Amino acid sequence: MLVALAAIPVLIAVAVRLSSSVPPGRGPAFLDRITQNGLFVAVTAMLVSVPLFLPLTIGVVAGDTIAGEASLGTLRYLLVAPAGRVRLLLVKYAGVLAFCVAAPVTVALAGAAIGASLFPIGPVTLLSGDVIQPPQAALRLVLIAAYLAVSLAGLSAIGLFLSTLTVVPVGAMAATVVLSVVSQVLDQLPQLEWLHPWLFTHYWFGFADVLRQPVLWDSFASNAVLQAGYVAVFGALAYGRFVTKDVLS
Amino acid sequence: MNRAWLRWVPAAAVPAMIAAGVLVGSIPARAGDPLPPKSPAEVLTLLGQHSTRSFSGAVEQSSDLGLPELPAAGPTSGPVSAGGAASIIELLTGEHTARIFMDGPAKIRVQVMDRLAERDVIRRDGDVWFYNSKDNSAAHLTLPAFASDLPLPVPEAPALPSPDRSAPALPSPVPPSPVPPTPEDLARKFLAAVDSSTEVTIGPDLQVAGRSAYNLIVAPRTQGTLVEKVVIAVDGQTGMPLRVSVMARGQAQPAFETGFTSLSLAAPEDSVFTFVAPPGTTVKELPVPPLPLKPGLPALPPTPGSVNPGAVPPGSDADLRNGDAPKPTVTGKGWETVIGFPAAPNGQGAALTESILKDPLLSQAAVVVPGGRLLSTALVNVLVTDDGRIFVGMVPAERLLAAAGAA
Repeated sequence: MLVALAAIPVLIAVAVRLSSSVPPGRGPAFLDRITQNGLFVAVTAMLVSVPLFLPLTIGVVAGDTIAGEASLGTLRYLLVAPAGRVRLLLVKYAGVLAFCVAAPVTVALAGAAIGASLFPIGPVTLLSGDVIQPPQAALRLVLIAAYLAVSLAGLSAIGLFLSTLTVVPVGAMAATVVLSVVSQVLDQLPQLEWLHPWLFTHYWFGFADVLRQPVLWDSFASNAVLQAGYVAVFGALAYGRFVTKDVLS
Repeated sequence: MNRAWLRWVPAAAVPAMIAAGVLVGSIPARAGDPLPPKSPAEVLTLLGQHSTRSFSGAVEQSSDLGLPELPAAGPTSGPVSAGGAASIIELLTGEHTARIFMDGPAKIRVQVMDRLAERDVIRRDGDVWFYNSKDNSAAHLTLPAFASDLPLPVPEAPALPSPDRSAPALPSPVPPSPVPPTPEDLARKFLAAVDSSTEVTIGPDLQVAGRSAYNLIVAPRTQGTLVEKVVIAVDGQTGMPLRVSVMARGQAQPAFETGFTSLSLAAPEDSVFTFVAPPGTTVKELPVPPLPLKPGLPALPPTPGSVNPGAVPPGSDADLRNGDAPKPTVTGKGWETVIGFPAAPNGQGAALTESILKDPLLSQAAVVVPGGRLLSTALVNVLVTDDGRIFVGMVPAERLLAAAGAA
């Protein structure tokens, strides 16, 4: 799955390399900057993967946690060991969180690598028009990856809870991905404006604030608080469901 | 069974705690010390004397003018609107946030935070830079020496004939991309209108950006305008305007509001005001503005009205304002002023009308009324008659039609 994610920046970079120059304002933001600076491959790839590819990855991993073990019939053997259900749940969730970190980092690393090999690397122009040197730009890439990792924490908690509801892992995976899409659609409806700050996808695109000078931390903080809320709510739901569940398989 | 129910307690308790936290957080924090009571005149003096010239803060602007909103969806940063009506409408709808850094009268930077993009205006002494990250374009303007100590740079919006002056605004250099007005701009603009037709009162103190502020209410005495009142939050310590809300008649939400959400009175770092056109940028050198900018009276009027003739592309704008163009007519006074632009004899007025009506956004927003087309917002109405005249005013549509009929 991480290989599939790494293919996104490679596809973008090769497509831009082979095609004529991209007019500004067409396609995803930052696409037109790639020919000038390879580091923007990583930014563009992360931007493109936010709406679907990253939630898809997390949905598959999180949906598989409990339901996957249940469907394979290994869950009861895990629980026979004197580890306790809470501990199993925590370990499973930690595994998903590791994926939340690994997925955007993979995209960023692959993007930076392919960008460096196909395009020149130089000083990076931020959204504010300020120019920073490549080492600082790499730090900003790390910040974006961290932002995305935090953004995905809420979704992975939802996936974990859904995974405790069923023994069919595909159902939990699909439900998680569908929820992230539904949340993004709701976020686009102006009639539901009161709901927007409560949607876990609301700040997903806020990582652009990291590319401003000085860095705007507001969205990073709001996003972290929101995701922590989702983790708490769905973590508690998953606990309630998992420790009361009759494990038959 | 009982034990099973206990397991679900956290799942119920966590949402309850979050709900409680949100409720507590939404109760406005009471200020420690209430501000000493002041009369409206004293607050006006405080506002007029304020000399805060070094600060950094975030400004949020929201509008509810009844204009259609442009959707911003997906991973794009929206279309690059090459100036013109679309970008102004975009500025007048929905919400915008900006950061403002200011140090002394001649150093200022405004950053308008767009979705995945940013527009910047940076001024250091006589050098003014405009930067738009959407198309990576920059523009540079060198202010003439006499202007370099003026308090504010060009307010970045197209000139709008404002109802409170008898003559329409002078042409101002049309910046490449408009930037929303600051609370300061807007407050000055409305306070310039304070005269016998206006009632000024003080309401209960406000909390804005964590600071206690006087609540200055400027209300027209007449019923014949769309503006119900203008509420200006004046910082109790410095006298700086922190928030300006324009309320329209019959609308609970402010039709237009701009205010600080955070404010620091410490001088920003000097490097913030340094701008060098980034590599790969297309830089356009702008001509020096022909007229001295008036300090304290920004030619850039607030927003509502910007959807009017001033919003046309620079070409036709300049044509219209050529010396031999007929003078605009003014009917009514105070808040009820209606400004009429006659159709130019050589068809330039018609060209202006065309450019307004041909713009897909403006023409969709305009409705057909007897004798012309009406662009109606909560604060300003614009009437384009069939013979090319244009009438603008912060008045109900009937008065515009009456003015058009009488002229």
